[in-house]
Amino acid sequence: MTTRRIVSAGVFGIGALAALGLAGPAQAQNPAEVKVGLLVPLSGLYARPGQVMKMGAEMAIEHINALGGIKALGGAKLKLVLLDSGDTVEKAKNAAQRMVAQETDLVAASGAYLSSFTLAVTEVTERAELPVLTLSYSDLITDRGFKYVFQTSATAASQARQCLPVMMQVAEKATGQKPKTVAIITDNTGASVASVKPMREGLLKEHGLNLVVDETFTPPLSDATPLVQKVRATRPDLLFFLPTVISDAKLVLEKMNEFGLGQARIPTVSFGIAIAEPEMLRTMSPELLQGVMSCVGSWGSKGHEKLIAELKSKYNEPWMTQNAISTYADMWVIAAALEKSGKADKAAVAEALRTLDLGPSKYYPGGLIKFDDKGRRVDAGLTILQWQNGIPNTVYPPDLAMSEAVWSKK
Amino acid sequence: MTQLVENILQALAAGLLAGAIYGLMCVGLGLIFGVMRVINFAHGDFMMLGMYAAYFLFGALGIQAVAGSYGGPYLAIVLAGPLLFLFGYAVHKTLIARVTGTRTAQLEGEGHYAQLILTLGIALVIQNGGQMLFGSELHSIRTPLSSSAWEVGPLWGDFVSVFVNKSRGIAALFSLATIIVLALVITRSRLGKSLRAAADNPEAATYMGIDVDRAHRVAFALGVGITGIAGGLLATNYPFQPYIGLEYVIVMYAGVVLGGMGSIIGAFWGGMTIGLVQQLSTLILPTQLQNAAIFVVFLLIVFLRPQGFFGRVVERT
Repeated sequence: MTTRRIVSAGVFGIGALAALGLAGPAQAQNPAEVKVGLLVPLSGLYARPGQVMKMGAEMAIEHINALGGIKALGGAKLKLVLLDSGDTVEKAKNAAQRMVAQETDLVAASGAYLSSFTLAVTEVTERAELPVLTLSYSDLITDRGFKYVFQTSATAASQARQCLPVMMQVAEKATGQKPKTVAIITDNTGASVASVKPMREGLLKEHGLNLVVDETFTPPLSDATPLVQKVRATRPDLLFFLPTVISDAKLVLEKMNEFGLGQARIPTVSFGIAIAEPEMLRTMSPELLQGVMSCVGSWGSKGHEKLIAELKSKYNEPWMTQNAISTYADMWVIAAALEKSGKADKAAVAEALRTLDLGPSKYYPGGLIKFDDKGRRVDAGLTILQWQNGIPNTVYPPDLAMSEAVWSKK
Repeated sequence: MTQLVENILQALAAGLLAGAIYGLMCVGLGLIFGVMRVINFAHGDFMMLGMYAAYFLFGALGIQAVAGSYGGPYLAIVLAGPLLFLFGYAVHKTLIARVTGTRTAQLEGEGHYAQLILTLGIALVIQNGGQMLFGSELHSIRTPLSSSAWEVGPLWGDFVSVFVNKSRGIAALFSLATIIVLALVITRSRLGKSLRAAADNPEAATYMGIDVDRAHRVAFALGVGITGIAGGLLATNYPFQPYIGLEYVIVMYAGVVLGGMGSIIGAFWGGMTIGLVQQLSTLILPTQLQNAAIFVVFLLIVFLRPQGFFGRVVERT
């Protein structure tokens, strides 16, 4: 017998023993590591938000592993598997197919930034029965009767319903009267469309607001003149501006300034995080952002100071956007589900997520760490931020607020 | 009524300003196609490199400190042009020359298949290399000009004011100046003559003692340099990341085809038409259909006048 044969016979023998469960039951049950997927854009137009989501996930996994990993699995460590969703819905769907085909031992995943991507990705993961947590806003994500998708943010329609009364109050407090006319400039991505839908369908009327401009554009814009010209012609009391691409946010806000409407002369309220990304400051001067508000699914706020400081020192991020904090929280939720199920198995994790009840949420605003039948986080709240002196500060809800909202009286 | 006039004039102004920059991009591409008959898929990415070149010259290499935030960007753009020219020259010498010019005789389909694959490959390498080198963050050449405007008017009593964005206005003038210089080089200089000869009939040009491969190299480098300048001009009011080329390469091709494949002046007017259609269409169509409008007009022109505005009748260089 040659040496190679002896070795291979040995390996076969050990393999056979392991298969029979004789090589130690502890190792067979408890894997050394448990794989968790992160499917986000890492190339193309949306690469930057994807990178920030990656930072949040990495930080969480580091924290979880440093605290001893998944105790129910004998201290198994979490391992992040990254997948690039690219910059189109087709690429995102392909990435999801690749994920479920090649990474068969994933127990759960988080993704995929843009609602449009998440909608496509979850079509694939649902069939593969892989649980996916998402920070995306579109109501449709959890309106399709899917069983394996868990939405941690308040849905777009819910955010619009929560945001509008707060805005009306702030405006009335500052100016003594409620705004009467409103303009909407929105891009046509999933989350933005879902946010404006309830507004168009009666929410604005309920608050006595008359819609005077209603414009939808396809991102990225090459020039914002036609949009802002319409706002200039009608001079509404309030502008809802919903971009997803930062360049669109810059073009519109700069054009507002150019036309003498900027620096919140027409109070501007956004939905989503694009307008409060640190990158805004790379592309435009902070004065032009002063006073701009945004309603977002979550944000690094009061109580998250340690986390914000760590993100800053580690990745040089000046503040913690939803992309970082929600993805950070997602990893903890997945870890909790693993602890609950005690199995490194996607079906068991999905079942654990459905029945999870960890009480009040620490990293997502408001509500509980508990999912309803649709997969929506129970009582999910939102945060409202406002650009004040070059920083987007949380101004709502009061328990997370870092400063008071200011409304332009001009 | 006054509101309508104002809307039309404002859209017209925005269209002319956007069109002037598109025109310059198209001229760069049109020059390469006109002289070399190469379909260059990497052209949008050369433009992206022009944006980064101007950005780094302006910021990291200290032009902002010396020339300030008003004049600095334009000095950086003037310097970025030659840099991109050298880059284009090197890319042609090391890569493009292998599948174009006198070597194509032995290649299938006169080298067109190889050219398509090669330029597509270069595009992918530049995009992904760009992300590794420059990161995925958005950058922008920050100048106060981009958020301020010259107000023309009121033209009609107290009404009808047109705002001309300062950075776009300067970019449009800059673009016109570049095109005039290029036209002079092509029509008046010896270099221009050799480019035109190489474009018209490469074989005859070779017999007349013109180095056709060199003429191609210069044309390619000039095309890249000009598009680099267009990129720099765009970067003063438009934030960019390494994948921005994809957004513009289609506009560039549409412009070149509209103007008439091979005509440089045509390419400029093709780009200008795209800018105008893009902005004026918003007066009657939803903004969402801005880019669809471009391609409807594009199809109409291709249908009614397949040779483009300037076809081959005027000039081929």
